[in-house]
Amino acid sequence: MHEPPHWRDRAQNERLEAQECGDCGYVSFPERREICKRCGARPDWTDVQLQPRGTVQSYVVQNRLPDEFETPLPLGVIDLPQEGDGEPARVYGLFTETDPDEVSVGMTVEADLRELFDVSGLPVHSFKFKRPRGDRL
Amino acid sequence: MSRDVAVIGAGMIDFGELFEQSIDDMAEAAYLNALADVDHGIEPDEIDAGWFGTIDIAGDASSGLGAAHPTGQFGIPMTRVENACATGSTAFRSAVEAVRGGSADVALVLGAEKMRDSAAGLIEGAALDQVWRGRGVTMPAFFGLRATRHMHEFGTTREQIAKVSVKNHENGSKYPHAHYRFTCTVDEVADSPTVTYPLNLYDCCPVTDGAAATIVASSDVAESYSDDPIWVRGGGLSTDSLLRGDDAALVGFPATEQAAAQAYEQAGIGPDDVDVAEVHDCFTITELVTYEDLGFCAKGEGGELIDEGAVELDGETPVNPSGGLLAKGHPIGATGVAQVNEIYEQLRGEAGEVQVDDPEWGLQHNIGIGRNATGSVSCVNVLSRER
Repeated sequence: MHEPPHWRDRAQNERLEAQECGDCGYVSFPERREICKRCGARPDWTDVQLQPRGTVQSYVVQNRLPDEFETPLPLGVIDLPQEGDGEPARVYGLFTETDPDEVSVGMTVEADLRELFDVSGLPVHSFKFKRPRGDRL
Repeated sequence: MSRDVAVIGAGMIDFGELFEQSIDDMAEAAYLNALADVDHGIEPDEIDAGWFGTIDIAGDASSGLGAAHPTGQFGIPMTRVENACATGSTAFRSAVEAVRGGSADVALVLGAEKMRDSAAGLIEGAALDQVWRGRGVTMPAFFGLRATRHMHEFGTTREQIAKVSVKNHENGSKYPHAHYRFTCTVDEVADSPTVTYPLNLYDCCPVTDGAAATIVASSDVAESYSDDPIWVRGGGLSTDSLLRGDDAALVGFPATEQAAAQAYEQAGIGPDDVDVAEVHDCFTITELVTYEDLGFCAKGEGGELIDEGAVELDGETPVNPSGGLLAKGHPIGATGVAQVNEIYEQLRGEAGEVQVDDPEWGLQHNIGIGRNATGSVSCVNVLSRER
């Protein structure tokens, strides 16, 4: 694996920047395309900022992973709302600092910038999810 | 004017951990078994073209050459197909379409995968390959996400999901080509080690080597080869991505619904007409949501369908008489080809201990995941005793 793919994706990885389809309202994240993945149009796109707090749509707890991951490790499908009106973006996210037994469908989680893993010693940063600060059990 | 297409021969090998066999060994044996299965015999030079299904997970079977070498079928069009876990069924579909269109009278479909030479790469590749697309999502995670949501939204129970494994292992214990021939109980599934919550070890298909081959022919020649050709009446193929934001993709696979709709329309039937099905059960939950996606029951009612016994060998719509991927194994490129062969055997009444009662229509289904666990691809083929 090489570093450039991760360098290209820094805006999405590190700043939760997305784009919204002017035709159907689909929020594309992390991919930035000319063609909309939902409606197939080639619309005008508007840059939108995603909020770090989102909602768990579903989750699993992974117990068997390569050594780079600490297990048991919850992973979720999270809807991240955008600033203002409009649809959320749907993303995968690993959890951090979270008791697997606390995770549930519908819970609110917060994206936190973390080192996801490294490529030949170079860190790759992206978001992980955890229960929001001040909302600990 | 397009022609009708029939399966005239089918062969596979006993699936398993075949450390002593190379991919060429397996492919050659499956091919020879398929040739030998043709009722009136067939000469190798009567095959006009071939399609080779493999994801080449072990890195030793790239291109059409991977089929030419073990079969000796050089000098004819030979195409390698990769379509994730729908690779074998897509290879079959490609051969059928070519025969239907007239560019071949007789075509070979060969599927093979050497899973046990590469098992470490499966989980690691899915977990680590790309930060953006993969994000640590392994195969059991991709399907387990549907299980969690299905239980949350529809009240589907751990026991209902486990019953898929119990049923398929029961069937697999009677099926001679299956990798695993043991039976298990609901409690044993629920108590087996957790792989990825909510899925346990017995919710997961094993890592299995295997190969399968099918020979298809046009209606111009099929009956000269076969006393009882099995007709390919419909096919469908579609893709979808979880990232498109459709909530249906959280509890099932829109790609399966779309592929099935295409196949049913082409065949002129509906889900109620299906008498036997071989569907993709890489994990228990995959089969349960597939009942719904194929229309065997309404969305959310998969758990009730298995409670009623409708999908058992003697039920209304028997699903996976072969034991499915859970018992038979899932050598990816071979999987869909083997399923087609099993439907062919069922419709010819040659399925032995797992024969269902006098089926007329059979359905084969795969669902694959791609784009590092964001997208899904589904292929459905419908076969019939009647042309």
